[in-house]
Amino acid sequence: MHITEGVAPASVAAAGALLAAGGVVAGLRAMKDEQIPRAAIMASAIFAASLLIRLPLGPSSVHPVLNGLAGLLLGWAAVPVFLVALFLQALLFQFGGITTLGLNTVVMGAPAVLCYYGFNRSLRRCGSARAAFWLGAAAGVTALLFSFLLWAGALVLSGKSLAVIVKLALVPHLAILGVEGAFTGFVSAFLFRVYPRAFEIPRTLGTGTLS
Amino acid sequence: MSCSTHFAGHTIVHRLDPRPRIVATLVFAILVALSRHYPALCAGLAVGALLALLARLPAPPLAKRLLRVNGFMLVLLLLLPVTSPGDPMFTILHLPFSREGVHMATVITLKANAIVLAFTALLGTVELAALGHAFHHLRVPGKLVHLFLFTLRYLDVLHHAYLGLLRAMKARAFRPRMNLHTYRSYGSLMAMLLVRSLERAERVMDAMKCRGFKGRFLTYRHFAFHRRDAVFCLVSTLVLILFVCIEWIPGGGLP
Amino acid sequence: MSDEPLLNLHSLSFSHTDAEPVLAEVDLALRAGERIGLQGAIGSGKTTLLHLVVGLLAPDRGRIEIFGKPRREEHDFWEVRERVGLLFQDPDDQLFCPTVEEDVAFGPLNQGKSREAAHHAVHEALALVGMAGLEHRITHHLSGGEKRLVSLATLLAMHPDVLLLDEPENGLDPPSYERVQNLLLSLPQAMIIVSHNADFLRAVTHRCLCLAGGRLQNKSW
Repeated sequence: MHITEGVAPASVAAAGALLAAGGVVAGLRAMKDEQIPRAAIMASAIFAASLLIRLPLGPSSVHPVLNGLAGLLLGWAAVPVFLVALFLQALLFQFGGITTLGLNTVVMGAPAVLCYYGFNRSLRRCGSARAAFWLGAAAGVTALLFSFLLWAGALVLSGKSLAVIVKLALVPHLAILGVEGAFTGFVSAFLFRVYPRAFEIPRTLGTGTLS
Repeated sequence: MSCSTHFAGHTIVHRLDPRPRIVATLVFAILVALSRHYPALCAGLAVGALLALLARLPAPPLAKRLLRVNGFMLVLLLLLPVTSPGDPMFTILHLPFSREGVHMATVITLKANAIVLAFTALLGTVELAALGHAFHHLRVPGKLVHLFLFTLRYLDVLHHAYLGLLRAMKARAFRPRMNLHTYRSYGSLMAMLLVRSLERAERVMDAMKCRGFKGRFLTYRHFAFHRRDAVFCLVSTLVLILFVCIEWIPGGGLP
Repeated sequence: MSDEPLLNLHSLSFSHTDAEPVLAEVDLALRAGERIGLQGAIGSGKTTLLHLVVGLLAPDRGRIEIFGKPRREEHDFWEVRERVGLLFQDPDDQLFCPTVEEDVAFGPLNQGKSREAAHHAVHEALALVGMAGLEHRITHHLSGGEKRLVSLATLLAMHPDVLLLDEPENGLDPPSYERVQNLLLSLPQAMIIVSHNADFLRAVTHRCLCLAGGRLQNKSW
C-alpha cells in the first residue's frame, strides 16, 4: 500500500511532506536517546518483514505492514521509524518513492499513533494473553484500515480518475485486514507473555530535543 | 547474505561526494514533480537515463525496479483514458479513450521514470552508512541520523536471525499455508526476533555505556570535497536551470 | 524390519559458492537402531551434512536416498522432515514460541495431528526428557540446559525414525549432560550425533566417523 513515485501531484505531495515533517519532529522529541535502539529494531523489523515474511492468502500472499504494532510499541516515535523504513524501501527496492515519501510516512505513521492512543494503555493493563491478542488484533485492523483510507484519500486528491484504483484495491485490502489483525494479535500476545516491558513507553509527547 | 545492499561500483558517480548528490536529487525530483509539459518531462527522463548510464547501474536489478514502477503505470495507462471524462481521442472496442486521461497517464509515467532513474543513479549508489553521515552533514536532526544508522546495523542481524529460525521451523516440517497455525507461527517468529533483539540492544547499550558512550556516536565520517564535486555542482545547477527554462519560460526558454 | 538403510548418501558433494568443497564424494548409510558419531574440526562440514539430509541445503552432486526413496526436490523432503528430527547446534535457533508447550506442539501440528493428539505428544515428549510440568514456562526464560532438553522434546514429540543431533551435549552442566547421555542411550531411534567430545561419543554411539578435507573416514576409539 505505497503511493508510487510520480503519482501524486506536487500540491498533494507537498502537503504530505509537511504533515510528515510535523509528525517526525513530534516523534523525535518524544523519543529518548535510550529508545533509539528499540526504534531502530522496529524500523528494521518493518523493513525486513515486508521483504521476507509472506503470509499465504488465497492464491497469493501478503506481507505484514506492522504499523499497528509499531504504534503499540513506540507511540509517536513510530512516525520517524516509518520515515526511515519507507526511505530504505524506496531507496533499495523502489517501493514508494522519494517524492511520495512524506505522503507514505503519513499513510503509515498516523494510524500507528492513533493505535498508540487507542490501545497501548489497555494492553498494559489487560489481564490475559487472550485479551492481549484481541487488543493487538484490533490495533492491527484499525491501523491498516485507517492507512487504507488515507491512501485512498491521497489518491483521490491526486486525481478523481484515480478513484478507480481505490475501487480495484478495496476487496483485496479487506482480506488483508484479517491477516494483519491475526498476525498483530499473535505478536502482541507473545510480547504480553514474554516481554511485557515492550509496551512501556514514555507517555508524554515530550519536549525532548531533535539532535 | 544481505537484504540491504546499494548499487556498488567505481564510476565517476560513485566517487562523487554524497552531499551534493542528495541535494541535487531532491531539487531534481521536486522540479520534475512540479512540471506538466512534455518537453521538460522528456528532458528529465533523458537526464535520468544519462545518470543511470554514467553510474553503470546493473541492468537486471534496475529493470526490476523500473518494472515495479511501470507495472502500476501500465494499469494507469489502461484505466485512466477510459475512466477520465473528456474528448474521446480514439475508441477501442466501443470504449472511448479520453485525451485528458491519456495525457494524465503519460505525464505520470514520464515523471515517475525520470525521478526513479535519477534517484537510483545518484542515491542508490551511495553506501548506506555513508548516506547516514552525509545526512548528518546536511543538518538532518541528529536523532533521525542515529535512528537511520542503528536501523542499518540491525537489518542484517535481524535478517540472519530470521533465516536461522525459519530454517529450524522448516526442519520441523513447517509449510506455510493459509491457516491460523501459519499466522501464529510467523507471529511467534517475529515476536521472538523482536524480544531477542530488544534484550540484545539493552546489553549492547550497557556495554557501550561502560566504554564511555553517552548516547551519541561522536566520530562522524567526513567527506572531502574534490574538484569533481565542484564540477558536479556546477553542471547539475546548469541542468536544473535549463530544466526550469524549458518548463516555465514560454517558448521553452530557447531562442 | 528389512536391512535396507534408513538413510543412504551416495558420493555427495557440496560447496558454498566459489569456495573449496565442504563435502567431496561422501558416502554414508544409517541403519535402524544404529547410532553413529561424527567428529571433525570446526568448519569441516558436519552441520552441512545434517542440513543436506533434511533438504535445508541442496547438494552439488550425489544422491540422497531416505526411507528407500530418492530425495531431490523440496517436496521430496516434506516427508523426510516429518520423520527425521534435526537438533540445531544453538537451541535459540530452534525455540521460537512463547511457551514450552506451544513450541513442542509445533512439530506435531505441522504433521497434521489434531489438537488433542498434539497435546498428548507434548506431555509424552516432555516426560521423556524429564521436563514434565514445565509446559507453561516461557521458553525465552529457560536456562541453557533446559532449552537443550526442550529442543530435544520438540523433536521427540514428532515420533521421528531418525535423529540428527548437532552437538547435543555442548555447553551443558554435569547433571544435564548426564541426563542427555542417558536419554540418548534409552531411545530406540537411529541417530547421527555430531560432537567434539570423544568421551561422549564413545559412551553413546556404536561407531564413529571423522570428517576431514571433505571426506568421511572411519575412526577407531
